[in-house]
Amino acid sequence: MDTSFFTKHRKLSQFGILLIAFFALVILVKPNEANVLWRFPSLLASLPGIINDFAENLMFNWFPIQVYDPHIEEYEEVALLRELTRGFSRGVLFMIEFIREILIGGVKTIVAFTSWEFVRENPWAAWPAVPWTVVAGGAAILGYALNGRNLALLAGAATVYISVFGQWHPAMETLSFVLVAAPISVLLGLLFGILSYKSHAVEAILAPLLNIAQTMPHFSYLVPVTVFFGLGDHAGAIATIIFATPPMIRLTLLGLKKVPVEVVEAGLMNGSNDRQILFKVLVPTARRDILIGVNQVIMQCLAMAVIASFIGAKGLGFNLLLALNQLRIGQALELGICIVLIAVVLDKLSLAFANKQTDYFADLSFVERHKYMLLFAGFFVGCIALALLGRLIFQDGINYLYLVPHNKGITTELFWQSGVDWMVDNWYAGLQGFNRGLIVNVLQPMKNAYLAMPVSATFLLVMGIGYIIGGIRSALIVGGLLLFIALTEWWDRALITMYMASFSVIISVTIGLIVGSVCAQYTFASKAALLVCDTLQTFPSFIYLIPVIMLFGVTDTSVLIAVIIYATIPAVRYTIEGIRNVPASLKEAGMMSGATAFQRWVKIDIPLAFPHIMLGVNQTVIFALFMVIIGAMIGTDDLGQYILKALSDKQGIGNGLMLGLCVAFIGLAVDHLINTWASQRKNALGLS
Amino acid sequence: MKIRNTLSAAVIGLASIGSQAMAADSAEPIVIPTHNWSSQVVMAYVIGGIFESLGDTVEYVPADSQAVYEAIRIGDVTISHEVWQSTFGASFYNAMAKGGIIDAGTHSAATLEEMGVPQYVIDDNLCPGLPNWEALKNCPEVFATADSEGKGRWLEGPQSWHGDLMPTRLAALGLSDQYVVKFAGGADAIWAELASAKKEGRGIITFNWTPNFTDAEGFAFIEFPPYTDGCRVADGGDGACGSPKGWLKKAANYKFPKTHPAAYSAFSKIDFSSTDIGQMAALVDIDGMSHQDAATKWLADHEDVWKPFVE
Amino acid sequence: MPTPSETTPNEPVIKCQSVYKIFGENADKMLRAANGNVDAAKFQEAGCVVGVNDASFEVYKGEMLVVMGLSGSGKSTLLRCISRLTETTAGNIHIDGQDLLAMNNKQLIELRRNKMGMVFQSFALLPHKTVLENIAFPLQIKGISTRDAMKRAMEMVELVSLDGRQNYFPRQLSGGQQQRVGIARSLAVEPDIWFLDEPFSALDPLIRKEMQDEFLRLQGVLNKTILFVTHDFAEALRLADRIAIMKDGVIEQIDTPANIVLNPATEYVSKFTEEVPREKVLKIKSVMDPITDETDFSDLTISGDAIIETVAEAVLAQTKPVRVMDKDNNIIGSVHCDKMIHILFGKDDDAQAGA
Repeated sequence: MDTSFFTKHRKLSQFGILLIAFFALVILVKPNEANVLWRFPSLLASLPGIINDFAENLMFNWFPIQVYDPHIEEYEEVALLRELTRGFSRGVLFMIEFIREILIGGVKTIVAFTSWEFVRENPWAAWPAVPWTVVAGGAAILGYALNGRNLALLAGAATVYISVFGQWHPAMETLSFVLVAAPISVLLGLLFGILSYKSHAVEAILAPLLNIAQTMPHFSYLVPVTVFFGLGDHAGAIATIIFATPPMIRLTLLGLKKVPVEVVEAGLMNGSNDRQILFKVLVPTARRDILIGVNQVIMQCLAMAVIASFIGAKGLGFNLLLALNQLRIGQALELGICIVLIAVVLDKLSLAFANKQTDYFADLSFVERHKYMLLFAGFFVGCIALALLGRLIFQDGINYLYLVPHNKGITTELFWQSGVDWMVDNWYAGLQGFNRGLIVNVLQPMKNAYLAMPVSATFLLVMGIGYIIGGIRSALIVGGLLLFIALTEWWDRALITMYMASFSVIISVTIGLIVGSVCAQYTFASKAALLVCDTLQTFPSFIYLIPVIMLFGVTDTSVLIAVIIYATIPAVRYTIEGIRNVPASLKEAGMMSGATAFQRWVKIDIPLAFPHIMLGVNQTVIFALFMVIIGAMIGTDDLGQYILKALSDKQGIGNGLMLGLCVAFIGLAVDHLINTWASQRKNALGLS
Repeated sequence: MKIRNTLSAAVIGLASIGSQAMAADSAEPIVIPTHNWSSQVVMAYVIGGIFESLGDTVEYVPADSQAVYEAIRIGDVTISHEVWQSTFGASFYNAMAKGGIIDAGTHSAATLEEMGVPQYVIDDNLCPGLPNWEALKNCPEVFATADSEGKGRWLEGPQSWHGDLMPTRLAALGLSDQYVVKFAGGADAIWAELASAKKEGRGIITFNWTPNFTDAEGFAFIEFPPYTDGCRVADGGDGACGSPKGWLKKAANYKFPKTHPAAYSAFSKIDFSSTDIGQMAALVDIDGMSHQDAATKWLADHEDVWKPFVE
Repeated sequence: MPTPSETTPNEPVIKCQSVYKIFGENADKMLRAANGNVDAAKFQEAGCVVGVNDASFEVYKGEMLVVMGLSGSGKSTLLRCISRLTETTAGNIHIDGQDLLAMNNKQLIELRRNKMGMVFQSFALLPHKTVLENIAFPLQIKGISTRDAMKRAMEMVELVSLDGRQNYFPRQLSGGQQQRVGIARSLAVEPDIWFLDEPFSALDPLIRKEMQDEFLRLQGVLNKTILFVTHDFAEALRLADRIAIMKDGVIEQIDTPANIVLNPATEYVSKFTEEVPREKVLKIKSVMDPITDETDFSDLTISGDAIIETVAEAVLAQTKPVRVMDKDNNIIGSVHCDKMIHILFGKDDDAQAGA
């Protein structure tokens, strides 16, 4: 009886034994800093300093060159690398400012081709802003040209909203920065995606780098970016590019790998050369995944709008931080909506652009062929006239037909503000019991339990799970990743990060499974839920941090609520996608065999959607870790707080990067376990 | 990439041709950082306005208030006009140790960065005896929160501001059994807690500073045993002392005096009092003006204050 | 090796000599060591897979050679060697007298752009292009102006009877329609050589029959040199001028359909031919008698290309021998009703006697 149980449930019994051994270690190993079984010595404690010195040497001492500084009439020694990165920065900045000045005017572009003296001496040398009506009309016309009336309405309405609510100036600043960062990310993503497709060596080198780039919290590379590239819109753009390119690379590679061999062969038989095969056959055929990549890039770029303002990006993100600091939640919300609107419009426009069809046989006259350009030209002239007219109407005041100044538009701020006030007034007292109960009965015991784990027990448990799931290889990978963290000074901090991440992942996955499963039963509900997911993903999370703090205080509850709101997005999204992709024939088979809705859910939907749902769980972990780090803005004592602290540390670069790696490695370890398990299940289900 | 580098090289080249003659201030813009609190942003625009009155070009760049010192050091940002002793002292001196950043004088504003309570805590007599610190011994429960295990909670700024200063102070004052320190993630978190507590009329002890927008609503700093040199644990003392009257400094990149001698001269003379700073912040926080408008109004209304700086 | 009577030019369009394709790391070495005597089982042990084993044959202008075999027989690999989608391990392949394997990339691209067209089992259409754009693709690749390419593509759309659907995307078409696009695309550049890799295998039987008819109609008009790969013996019989039957990379037999049905060379081949109702596959010309001095013919004439079954009843109704004519209305033979009875109801050896 016993043996048959063991052979039948080999993994389960292994897991049981593992748990027993784990608890034995937890009980036997006594807290004592000198005991290696309790905590490993921080052998890597000096590594941040080394990284720091290396980066600073590279940046300030390595290969010095003489550069003449005309302002102080002296030659200065500047490290070569710094000159190069600054040159690159200036290039990026030039592009951002060029686009920005087309939209809202300025002198930087003229300065780039003349000098500041020239501009000072010639006051006429300033580029005027176009009236906002031109941009709004242009967006609508572009939308119409690409995809007809609906897109025109969306693009037009979004721009009008932004202007009328008095966010024109910052929104155009953000837009100009996204219009540089997003295309660069897409191009870099395509380039590296193609290179990895062509060369296994490149793929092998890039894969771990991509993993790290995607799991590393962006706070941790803010300092290195400012040191290497300076402070300003370009630095924000570069940090955004680092963040937005990896998913593009991944999706490009995925798409290219999915191109059927016969399609390539067909291209070859049509006499395509290498270039034609790549750009006319492979890339277009992989377009579905590549377009998802473009969508992700746009989402990521706008998700970075707030963080980028930490290192100098002007626009909505900075204004949002400012509004939050004044606790003007209504204003922050309006700014957040602007960010979401820009994301949605850019996403839809890029998608429509990619899907645009050509009519080859329409015999068009000049006017018909250029009707949109002509329409825009006409519109342009009309709007200028309107702006001039506006100057007459609003003689001394603000010319609303030209530019609605920042925060001078209409606003719904009071409405939201009173909403938040009402919430605090009515809910605060009621929520305190819940808050206290949760903290005292769940969170603190859980946190203490994590901290009371001897390091040896943690390794036994994690490597054991790795062994059960993926054999010795998985055990070593997971162990190696954790070992890095255990050898730094921040193991306890990492345990706290793990506690917060694991708590929110459990809740998020539960919510995601239930909400996702229910929504997946109805087409409309699914679409609505996915729309909510898209919105929440770009909506700056900073905004809801404030009301949450007002209700729950600076506590772990607040942090975890913010994390759960964010981490539930992928859990819901992947559950819906997974279940909706279960073949209809299987669902029908289930119904014909008389399964109840619940049985069908348990026996058919969930198991068959399982691999996809596991990808969702994987994303949930990544999202949760990401948000736990942002939770440092509320107040935590985990790795995130130290990353935030690294912004002002003497060894900021080294500490930031090392802490970032610690977070990334937690993510990678979980990622590895889940992926290994999911692909095994997939094989077992015959779904691969 | 190649094109971009060539382009930027061209840009550098073009930019450097015109700037040979150095009659007065360079035409290159003076880069002023803006952070995420009102008085700082208004003061940025005020100082920018002062520079512009001298014929200088000014550019504003948003920046993290901690990371900005590294940027000044390298030269990406020209000045910082609100260096608070206790919150940014560490970052400022760290950057100075590496070189490239200079101390451009101190405002006369008397600043204090200290733990305190909103005025209504005193007025409603929630903890009799405040603001004297000894009163705290008798009412930790007034300041208890969900996660403080029955103890009173001190809401401190992030650890990057003053490390373990408050926990050591609690221990030195013998309050450790009654109070715990909770580090908030940033100023926003503190303001949110203050606003929420005010609605409920709840007791709260939090780190705060003056001049600040909270001055308008009333905020009382706790009176700890007075600060003396060397009283802090880090300086070899026992830590049982409050904060010193702090300084509010100005910092600049080391090239600033050479590139913009006139502007630097004005900047080094710039000296705002607590009243000035309070007025600037109030225009935004109380009157609801935009930051630029507030600066314009302040400059127009207070020529007597700032004109002497440019003479 | 018999060649079809109507086309016997001197120079073959495709000529393969001892073509080998062996997959695996040490393929070259192993092959050299085997000295032309490849044993698939031995190679398998060494981790090599034999795709094509010593294939030699020729295809002449206007001829349709159908390569028939079950999956894994190496038929698609052979096709890919001849189209050089895969590199041949050893042997020679000549296209129109040019050494295919010696061509550099540029020459190969030129050859494909101008002389070759290929149709794929899974259609292999570009999903982002419309019907029209897909068909115009090879023309645009060649550098033909968009205007001309689209004009030509539109002609091809009409040729495969898809007019009205030129702006559809592949996903909006049925399998049969998609393959019409594939065919039109492969013909757009007017290639001399037409490769078809199981073009109708992915289609359901009714559509398959319709497409075969369509294919025969097209070939009747275009008269291309064709290499057609299939796993369907009936399809091979229906379409081929000659059939090459492959097993484990080896060509077991290569001959006209009639000869394969009537004289299977190996046991493997006879497995396919056993069940074949010959009156349904054989053409009159493969069973007719040569013309004798006799002049007393029936008034009825039948085409040599007619399938026996379709004319059997008419022939049986005649008492005199019926004349068999070719395309140009020349008498090429005759069939007597007695003979027809033998073919339809007689035993194997009787039928053979008539061949």
